[in-house]
Amino acid sequence: MYAFDFEKPTTVAEAVAALADDEAQPLSGGQTLIPTLKQRLAMPSKLVSLTGIAEMQGVCTNDAGQLCIGGATPHAVVAAEAASKYPALSALASNIGDPAVRNRGTIGGSVANNDPAACYPSAVLASGATVVTNNREIAADDYFQGLFSTALEEGEIITEVRFPVPQAANYQKFVQPASRFALVGVFVAKFADGVRVAVTGASNDGVFRWTEAEKALSANFSPDALNGLSVSADGMIGDLHGTPEYRAHLIAVMTKRAVAAAS
Amino acid sequence: MKDHFTMDSPQPRLLDETKQGVIGTPMDRPDGPRKVSGTADYTADHAPDGMAHGVLVRATIARGRITGMDRDTVLGIDGVIDVITDPRMIRNPAQGMAGSAPVQTGDEVHYHGQPIALVVAETFEAARDAAQRLTVHYHAEAAAVSPETTPDTETDDPVTAGDFDSSWSAAEVQIDRAYTTPSQAAAAMEPHAAIADWQGDHVTLRSALQMVRFNKAELADTLGIDPSKVRILAPFVGGGFGSKLGLGPEAAAAAIAAQKLGRPVRVVMTRQTVFDTVLRRSETAQRVRLGATKDGRITAISHDDRVSNIDGEGFAEPVSQASQFLYGADGLSFTQTVARIAATPAGSVRAPGEAVGMLAFEAAIDELADALGMDPLELRLKNLPEKHPIDGRPYSARRLADCLTEGAARFGWADRWQAGTRREGDWLIGIGMASAARSNMLVKSSARVRLTGDQAIVETDMTDIGTGTYAILAQITAEMLGLPAANVTVRLGDSDLPGASGSGGSFGANSAGSAVFLAARKLRAEIAERLGCDAEGLTLQNGQARGDNREAALTELVSEEILAEATIQKGKTAKSHFSSGFGAHFAEVAVNEWTGEIRVRRMLGVMSMGRILNEKTARSQALGGMIWGIGAALTEEMQSDPRDGHIVTRDLANYHVPAHADVPGDMQVVFLEERDDWANPIQTKGIGELGISGAGAAVINAISHATSKRAYDYPVLPDRMVALLEG
Repeated sequence: MYAFDFEKPTTVAEAVAALADDEAQPLSGGQTLIPTLKQRLAMPSKLVSLTGIAEMQGVCTNDAGQLCIGGATPHAVVAAEAASKYPALSALASNIGDPAVRNRGTIGGSVANNDPAACYPSAVLASGATVVTNNREIAADDYFQGLFSTALEEGEIITEVRFPVPQAANYQKFVQPASRFALVGVFVAKFADGVRVAVTGASNDGVFRWTEAEKALSANFSPDALNGLSVSADGMIGDLHGTPEYRAHLIAVMTKRAVAAAS
Repeated sequence: MKDHFTMDSPQPRLLDETKQGVIGTPMDRPDGPRKVSGTADYTADHAPDGMAHGVLVRATIARGRITGMDRDTVLGIDGVIDVITDPRMIRNPAQGMAGSAPVQTGDEVHYHGQPIALVVAETFEAARDAAQRLTVHYHAEAAAVSPETTPDTETDDPVTAGDFDSSWSAAEVQIDRAYTTPSQAAAAMEPHAAIADWQGDHVTLRSALQMVRFNKAELADTLGIDPSKVRILAPFVGGGFGSKLGLGPEAAAAAIAAQKLGRPVRVVMTRQTVFDTVLRRSETAQRVRLGATKDGRITAISHDDRVSNIDGEGFAEPVSQASQFLYGADGLSFTQTVARIAATPAGSVRAPGEAVGMLAFEAAIDELADALGMDPLELRLKNLPEKHPIDGRPYSARRLADCLTEGAARFGWADRWQAGTRREGDWLIGIGMASAARSNMLVKSSARVRLTGDQAIVETDMTDIGTGTYAILAQITAEMLGLPAANVTVRLGDSDLPGASGSGGSFGANSAGSAVFLAARKLRAEIAERLGCDAEGLTLQNGQARGDNREAALTELVSEEILAEATIQKGKTAKSHFSSGFGAHFAEVAVNEWTGEIRVRRMLGVMSMGRILNEKTARSQALGGMIWGIGAALTEEMQSDPRDGHIVTRDLANYHVPAHADVPGDMQVVFLEERDDWANPIQTKGIGELGISGAGAAVINAISHATSKRAYDYPVLPDRMVALLEG
C-alpha cells in the first residue's frame, strides 16, 4: 500500500468538510475501495472514514413504519437487527460475501458504489427505498443511473437508507461461487399497491426493474404468473462467469424462486 | 559404503518379509504437528538479518523490447533501494528435470506478465508500491497469442501401430468428436518464494522447489557459477503440482539482487504473479476417433491434439499418453501439433497429459458404448489389450480389470438406469465411470542412512511437497532396520545431501524410497555380519537383531554410527516391461435442470498402484487427485485477453479450484493389493497423479447419463450446461 492521509470525523458535518478537498475520497467499510487502492486503480491522497460517525450507525423504525438504516451500518448489523422487521432484507444482508465482508462492509458503501453485481441495490430498488444524503432525499428509481453510477454528487454522503416494509418479499441470489457476488440476484417485494421486481448482477446497466414481471405478479402473485415471460439477452453481462443468455435465463428462474419463497 | 544399483531384474519382496510391521500402515506424518502449529519452516518464513525485499515487475506487452524504465521516479520512494535488471534473469521457470538455465531474454519481452525487473526495498510494501509505479517503455512488436490463429505451428510425425486409416474406414461403428480444454493452473497454496544469501562466492538459496538436485544445476547455470558454489534448501514446500519443478524467476532474481546488494534478498510472488509467470497447463483442442465392430471390439483408435507453448520451451502437454496403452485396436494413430504463441509458457501441471487427455478419450469411449448399446463398463473390459498396443511390451502389473469390476460392485453399477430418466425435484441424476491410468517411472536417486544404536537418520535432497515423504521414508527405514518409526529422523530438501529424484511425475516415492531401501539393506548386511548370521536369515524388530540362533540389541551391535549410501537408477526392466498405475473412477452427479449447476454427490476410486507405503498419505493423494478431476470437469478455467495474452483469472476467486463445498462428503478410495516387481525393489508405483487421471471423465460421463446430453467443451460450467439442456 502507498502512503495517504487519513481522517476519521465523528459527525456528518465534519465528514462533508473533510471531503471538500479535491483529493479526498470517503471510506466506509472499505470492502471495495481498499482492494482498489491495492491494485492502484485509484490513488486518492486522503481517505475520510465514515465509520466513526454515530448518527450514521444502526437500524430503527420511523413513524411511517419505514426501516431506517444508517449509511455506515455493517451488513452483519442489518442482518441481525432487520431480522424481525424485514426478514428478506435481513436474509440478503446475511448472505453478502463472507463474515469479514459482512462485519466491515456497509450499506451506504454498497449503495454508493453501485457495483452491478452487488446485492443491496436490488433491495433498495425493489423496496422503493429512499436514499438519504447529507443534503437531500433521493427516490430509488432516480438514484441508480447505470454501472457504478448514481445520483450522488461529489462529496455527497449517504447517511441513511429508508425502506418501506413490504407485505411479502424475498431475495434469490445465484452466487458466483468464488466471489459470492450475485451472478444474478432478484429481489421481489409485494406491496399493497403492487409488486416490484429488481434484478442485480445481470445487466450491463446495473440494477434494473423487470416491469413485465411486476405487472404479471401484481395481477397474480404466484410463480405460475411468470410462465412464458423471459428477459432478452441483449444488454446482459457476458463474462468469465456466464454468458448473456445464461444470465437472462437465470433472471426468470430466480424470480420464480423468489416468488415461491415469498408466497 | 556406497551402493550403485540398476533395476535390471525383478527383486525379492523383502518388505513383505521384514517384521517391524510399520510399512503400509496409515501412520501419521511425523511433520504433522509442526505443520499444524506453524513451526514448519517454509521458505518465506525465514527473514535473515539485513534482508531486503524484492518484488518482480511484469511486462505489459506480449512481445517486444524494453527501451527504458523511469527508475528515478521510484528510487525516490522511501525505502526503495534499487531497480535491478540483469541479463541473467530468467523468462520463466525451468521445465521439470531441465538441469540448466531457462531462457534468459535480456531486454526482450516474450509474453505479457514476464518478469522484467526486480524492485528491492527495505520493506515489502515499498517494493510493491515502487514495482507498481515503475513506468516501463517498450518497442512493441506484433505477436500471436492465440493457438487457434498463430501461423507458427509444428506437427510431429504420428505415433502409430497397425493401419489406422483402413481400420477406421472399415469400422462398423464410428465415433469422431472434437473436444476442448482450457489452460489450467497448478494453484499450489504456497506462492512461489525465494531467499538468497551470499557468503563470498557461495550462494545459499531457500526456495519453494520440488527437485533440489536439478534446481541446484539450474541456479548455477543461470548465474554462470560452478554448482559446487550453490546450496539449495527446501525442507518444506506448500504444494507443487508441477509448478515448482524448476527454478523460478523469483529465485534467479533474488540471487542476482543479493549478489549485487551484498545482503540477503527475499522475493515472494503475489498470487497474481504466480498466475502470470509460473508454467501453466496448455489449453488443448482434441479429436478422438474410435472405430468398433457391432459386437463391441474396438478396431481403430486415434487421438490427435493441439497444444501450445512459447518459443524455446520443449515441453508439450502429452495429451494422448494414456490413450496409447489403455485399450487395444487393429490400428492406432496419435498426432500432436504444438502452436507457438507469445503467452505465459506451458509446463507440467498435475498429471500432464492424462489430466486433460483422458477427459476427452474416456468420454469418447463412453459415447462409443452408447452408440453400440453396450454398458460402458463391459466395453472397457472387453477391450483390454494383452500387451502395450504400440510397442508390444508386456505390462509389469496390471489389475485394471479388477479395478473396474471391484469398483462396479462397490458403487452399485449394476443398478444403473436408463440415461435421462432419474430426477429428484429439479435435479437430474446420473452415474458415470472411467478407467484410470498413469505410467510409472523410476528416476536416478541417492540416499544415505545412518544408524547409531536404535536411532536412524535418513538423508537425501528429496522434497516433501505435502505428499508425505517424511512419513514414508521413515517407514521404509524403520521397517528395514526393525525400529519404531519414531526412532527415525528424516532430513530432506538440502542439496548438500545425496541427490534424489525430487518430487514430480509421481516418481518420488518409488525413486527416493528405493534409494533409502537400498541404503538400509546395506546396513542390514553389516548388522548381519556383526551378529554372525546370513543377511537372508536376519530378523530386525523393535531394536533387536536375531538370526542363526543369535540375538542382540542394536544398541550393543551398533554402538558407533554406521552409515550406508545407495543410488538407484532404471535399467533393463524399464525396457522389457511397461509399468503403469491403473484404476477405475465412478461418480454420481446431480444436474439442476433450471440453473445448470452440477453437484458431484459421490465418488469412488479403485486403484492398483503397487505396494502402498502409507495407507493414509496414499489415500490423501488419491483423494486430492480425484478433487482435481472435479476441477477439470466442472470449475477450473484459466482465461486470457485475446489481444495480448494477458491472463485475467489471476487469483483463486476467478480461477475456481474445487473447494469443500464443491466436493462430496462421500469420497471413497480403495487400493487393490499389488506388487510391481519390475518397477523397483520396493514394488511401488506412482500414486500422486493416478487419482486425477480419468476422475474428471467419470464426472463428465455421469453428466451425460443424467441429462442424455454430451458436453465437448470443458469444464462444464453452468451456462454451458444450460445451453446444452436447452439445445
